Amino acid sequence: MIGLARVFSAIAIAMRAVLRNKLRAALTILGITIGIAAVVTMTALGDGARAKINGQITNLGSNALIVFPQSARASGARTTGGSKLSESDCQALERESTSIKAAVPFLRASAQVVYEGQNAKAEVIGSRIGYLKVRNWELQRGEPWTTSAENVSEKVAVIGAGTAKDLFGTADPVGRWIRIGRHPYRVLGVLEEKGPSPFGRSQDDVVLMPITTMRSHVRFTRPGETDAIMMSATSPETTDRAKKQAEEILRQRHRIREGDEDDFLIRSQAEFQQMQDNIYGVLSLLLVGIAAVSLVVGGIGVMNIMLVSVTERTREIGIRMAIGAREMDILVQFLVESLVLATLGGLVGTTIGYAAIVGLGAALDLPMKLAPQALAVALGTSTAIGLVFGFFPARRAARMDPVQALGRE
Amino acid sequence: MKDAPPIIEFVEIHKDYVTEAVVVRALRGVNLTIRKGEFVAIIGQSGSGKSTMMNIIGCLDRPTRGQYILDGIDVGARSNDARAIVRNHLIGFVFQGFNLLPRTTALENVELPLVYRGVAAAERRKRALASLSAVGLGARLHHTPNQLSGGQQQRVAIARALVTQPPLLLADEPTGNLDTRTSYEVLDLLQRLNREQGITIVLVTHERDIADCAGRVVEMRDGSVRRDIVNERPTDAGRALAELPVQDEHGATS
Ligand SMILES: Nc1ncnc2c1ncn2[C@@H]1O[C@H](COP(=O)(O)OP(=O)(O)OP(=O)(O)O)[C@@H](O)[C@H]1O
Ligand SMILES: [Mg+2]
Repeated sequence: MIGLARVFSAIAIAMRAVLRNKLRAALTILGITIGIAAVVTMTALGDGARAKINGQITNLGSNALIVFPQSARASGARTTGGSKLSESDCQALERESTSIKAAVPFLRASAQVVYEGQNAKAEVIGSRIGYLKVRNWELQRGEPWTTSAENVSEKVAVIGAGTAKDLFGTADPVGRWIRIGRHPYRVLGVLEEKGPSPFGRSQDDVVLMPITTMRSHVRFTRPGETDAIMMSATSPETTDRAKKQAEEILRQRHRIREGDEDDFLIRSQAEFQQMQDNIYGVLSLLLVGIAAVSLVVGGIGVMNIMLVSVTERTREIGIRMAIGAREMDILVQFLVESLVLATLGGLVGTTIGYAAIVGLGAALDLPMKLAPQALAVALGTSTAIGLVFGFFPARRAARMDPVQALGRE
Repeated sequence: MKDAPPIIEFVEIHKDYVTEAVVVRALRGVNLTIRKGEFVAIIGQSGSGKSTMMNIIGCLDRPTRGQYILDGIDVGARSNDARAIVRNHLIGFVFQGFNLLPRTTALENVELPLVYRGVAAAERRKRALASLSAVGLGARLHHTPNQLSGGQQQRVAIARALVTQPPLLLADEPTGNLDTRTSYEVLDLLQRLNREQGITIVLVTHERDIADCAGRVVEMRDGSVRRDIVNERPTDAGRALAELPVQDEHGATS
C-alpha cells in the first residue's frame, strides 16, 4: 500500500531530522549504545571465560575425583569435631575398589619460599608421588621423588613453573636448595606450566613434597591425617562406579550406620565442571540482565525524545497531512526516525563493544571474540527497540487531527 | 460560467464545536454551490465561520451534519485516508502563515505533495521547477523559508499548491501577513491562474479591496451565508499594482 519510493523518502526525511539535531540524537542513543556495548562485551566475556575453563578442566583429567571431610549432622552422637580422612583410607580405596586406579592423600599450606634472597609465595602440597598421575601433571625437567624418599621424610620438592620463574628466573632449579621456614629442600623437578585455575588462582606457584616431609617440617598433623583424598578412576567412564565404591568403602571404614549421613563428600571433576558452568551461567545471566535493563532504559529514552519531537513538529505534521500525507505516511516517517536512532545506537554500541572485547581479551588473556550471533542479536535488538518504543509516538503523530495540528490562525 | 458543473456543493452543512462548557455552532445550515472556474471571496467578521467552512471544503475537517459533495464525490462519508488522497489530488492549500516546512528548501517544499503521490524523484524535480518558475521564483530554488521574504514564501506556497495541478485552490487569508503591494502581487498571480488555467479559487479575506478582486463575494455572519453577490467588474490586481506608488526597494517582480 505504500510504495518503495515513499519508504525511501521516509528514510531520507528521518535521516535529515536526526542529523539536524546531532547532539540530541547522540544523547538519545546513549542508552542503547551502552546497553548494546554491554551485551556484546558481556557475552564475549562469558564465552571466553567458559572456553578457557573448559580447556583447563580437560587438563585436570576427566577421571579425577576428590574426597573432602564433612562434619556429619546426623541424628547420631557425632556432631562436632568433624571427620578425618586418613592415609589408610587411601590405601583401602586403592586396595578394595576395582574402579579406582590411584588414591593419594593431600595436605596443603601457604608458605614463603626463599632462594638466595629471592622470595615467592607458594602453595605447599604434601602428597604421595602418585599425585602427579592423579592430577595429570607432567614434569618439564628433573624427576619426581622416590617411595624411599617418602619413607624417610627426605627434604626434597618438585616446584611449579611460576615458583621456578620467581625464584630462579631462567636458571635451572634442579639440584638447588630452596628454603621454607628454617628448612632447606632440594629441588628435584619443575612442573609444566598450567595457567591459572578456574577460580583465578595460579596453579604454577606450588611446591610439591612428600606428605611425610611436609608433616614433620611444614605442617604438623597427626600421623596419617590428610585434608583430602585425590583419586583417579580407571577411566572417564568408570568415575561414577568409582564414586559409588569409594562411598561404600569409606562408610564402612568410618562405621557410619545405615541411614546416617556420610562424614565425607566426593566430587568428581565432571561435577566441578558442572558447578563452574552453573556459576558462569548465573553470572552471565546477571550481566545480560543488567544489559537488558539498560536497553529498556535506552528504549524509553528514544520514546521520550520521539514524543518531544512529535510535539515540536505538530505543525509540520499538519502541513504534511494537508498536502496529502496519509496516516501510514506519518507513522512510517516517525517510526523510521526512531528506527534510525536505535539502529545507530546499536551500531555505535557494537563498535564500542568490539573495542572492549579486543582490549579485555588482551588484558585478561581470554580467548574473546565477537560472535556473529551476538552481532546479529545486538543489531536485531536495537532495531526491535526502535520499533517497539517508536511505535507509540509515531501512532500519536499519525492520529493527529489535521486542523488542530495546523493550528488555528 | 453559470453553466459550468459544480465543484463544491454544500447542502445544509452544520458544524458544532463541542467544548467542555458550551457548544459553539460555527456553521448553521450553509447551502452553497461553487462552479468550476469561479473565483470566490469569502468575507465576514471574525468568528463568523469562514475558516471552519474552508476546513470543511478542504477535507481537513468533517461537518457535523449535512452533505458535502466535492467534484461529484460525497467526501463527508469517506475515511481519513480517502480524504488524504482527495486533498492530494483535488486541492491546493495556501495559508495565511505560509506553512512551509522550516529548514527545507523551496524546491523540496514544492516537491512534497508529489512525494505523497508516489512520483519518482526526477519527475518530481522537473514538475517542482516548472511550478516555481510559474510563480516567478525560478532563481530561489535552494533558499529555505527563513531566507525568503513573506511574499516570496507565499509564492513558494502557491507553487506547492499548484504542483499537483489541482482543480481547486483554497486560500485562507493568503495576504493577511503581506503588505499592500505584495498582496496585489499574490492576487495578480491568483487571478492569472484562474483566468488562464481555469483553476477554481476560494479565498477568505478580511479586506474589502482584496475581496473586490474576486468574481463572487460570499459574506458570512454567525455561521450562515448572509449575502452572495456576483461581482461583475472585479478589480484587476495587475492594474491596481501598476497604480500603486512606486517602491523601489521592493523591486519589480514579473
Ligand atoms: N476547534 C474549535 N473549538 C471550539 N470552537 C471553535 C473551534 N474552531 C473554531 N471555533 C469557533 O467557531 C467559530 C467560527 O470560527 P472560525 O475560525 O471559523 O471563524 P473565522 O470566521 O475564520 O474568524 P477569523 O476571521 O477570526 O479567522 C468561532 O466562534 C470560534 O471560536
Ligand atoms: Mg479564520
